[in-house]
Amino acid sequence: MQNVISDPDQAHEHDSGEERKLIGDRGYYFLNRMQGETGVNISACYQCERCTNACPVSHFMDIKPHQTIRYVQLGWREDLLKSSTIWICLSCEMCSTYCPNEVDVAEIINHLRNMAAHSSITPKERSLAVFHQTFLEVLQKSGRVNEFRLMNAYYSKPGILKERVKQGILVEDLLLGMTLLRKGRLKLFTPKSRAIKEIKKVYSQKRGEIV
Amino acid sequence: MRLSFYPGCSLEGMANDYARSIDAVFKDLGIELVEIKDWSCCGSTAAHSLNQAMSAVLPARNLAAAEKMGLDLVSPCAMCFNRLRFSQNMIKKKVFDIPWPVTGNIRVHDMTRFLAEPPMIKLIKERILKPLNRLRVVCYYGCQMVRPPKITGYTDYENPQTIDRIVAATGAKVIDWSYKATCCGASIGVARKEIGESLTRRILQKARQTGAEAIVVSCPLCQSNLDMIQKDRSKRHTPVFYFTEFLRLSFEEHGDPKWFKMHFTDPVPLLKTKGLLS
Repeated sequence: MQNVISDPDQAHEHDSGEERKLIGDRGYYFLNRMQGETGVNISACYQCERCTNACPVSHFMDIKPHQTIRYVQLGWREDLLKSSTIWICLSCEMCSTYCPNEVDVAEIINHLRNMAAHSSITPKERSLAVFHQTFLEVLQKSGRVNEFRLMNAYYSKPGILKERVKQGILVEDLLLGMTLLRKGRLKLFTPKSRAIKEIKKVYSQKRGEIV
Repeated sequence: MRLSFYPGCSLEGMANDYARSIDAVFKDLGIELVEIKDWSCCGSTAAHSLNQAMSAVLPARNLAAAEKMGLDLVSPCAMCFNRLRFSQNMIKKKVFDIPWPVTGNIRVHDMTRFLAEPPMIKLIKERILKPLNRLRVVCYYGCQMVRPPKITGYTDYENPQTIDRIVAATGAKVIDWSYKATCCGASIGVARKEIGESLTRRILQKARQTGAEAIVVSCPLCQSNLDMIQKDRSKRHTPVFYFTEFLRLSFEEHGDPKWFKMHFTDPVPLLKTKGLLS
């Protein structure tokens, strides 16, 4: 039998499938930054995979929770921000609760999601990101979130209607909406909170505007 | 006894039957709930996902209002409770600037744990007119109420007991099961249907396997997820109750089928066969 490694040509062929990533010094930089911002000791992770095993949605993720931690240690920032993991995560806190080293995995994923939201990278799970965004917009407009207003706003986002028609959920959603209305679970009008102005002000401060 | 009450957005819309049953139960128990004036949304998952600072600031407004009243706060919604506790934590750490005067020193109760304290259980037992002793149920807690334990303060986060104790006080048989605190998918089902459904279906299936006739929950989102997944008129129905609906049923001699008209899975046939509803 031929040894793969002893044959330089074949070894090269074997390598060409995957691009090799260099670590360099950015792993150290990104790790420190993440540890500083989240207050979590990320270096304590010894890859026992307890987080991934506890996660209810790990099989929908492209980078598993324990790999996420490793990626942070290596400084592979854009891979993380481009991943579906950060949007699929439910923040159910199973990973953080069961980590033997008290690495707050959910907090790290949440922080990465925050970073992705403030970056120019298009989220891999666009519909999920858009839903969060819509929720906050409705919140800013009325101080409280009404389900009817939320779904209306969500549907009027670019691309969402088209996507849902393609998936065949539109008719189902309309029927569900009708049933909910009939049952009295969906209220078209609910009182707004007077907090709108205050909330908007805080938002603009958070964006760095000096009010 | 007076408490400030933070209902949360769900209780105005999807879960307004929960709100009504809470009103009835607390009136029966003689505890006054004072709704926080002009409360605003806690920010829920969206705020902490996209803007962590807002997730600490938004609930702080409600905490400030409760502090002004000088009353401890009770929240029926699991997510609101979690966010209020988180915000309280952050206020004490002084990490974010809060534009409202707030110290974070009031106690934030989650409604189930408040009612599961021994004196409250005693009070509940005194009020029961109609024991529900022919029902076999499982209690489902979801994630946000129990996890992360550092914030919620639950020490028995693997096998929480609060709803179990309340439901057991009404006389119903509570079945032990291992999916009490498994995630139901929360709002992921809106944008990614298949993920949400796979998680909710598993919980429903496991609940049925235990032989339970109904599921008792405290979280509005868990209720709508578990309830709405059964909308396709399948052969088998497992009604999903709020724990306050359960209490209300046992507090009154003659229940009213109208209380349950907002449910997708009609619990009236089940209750009628058990002789709990005429």
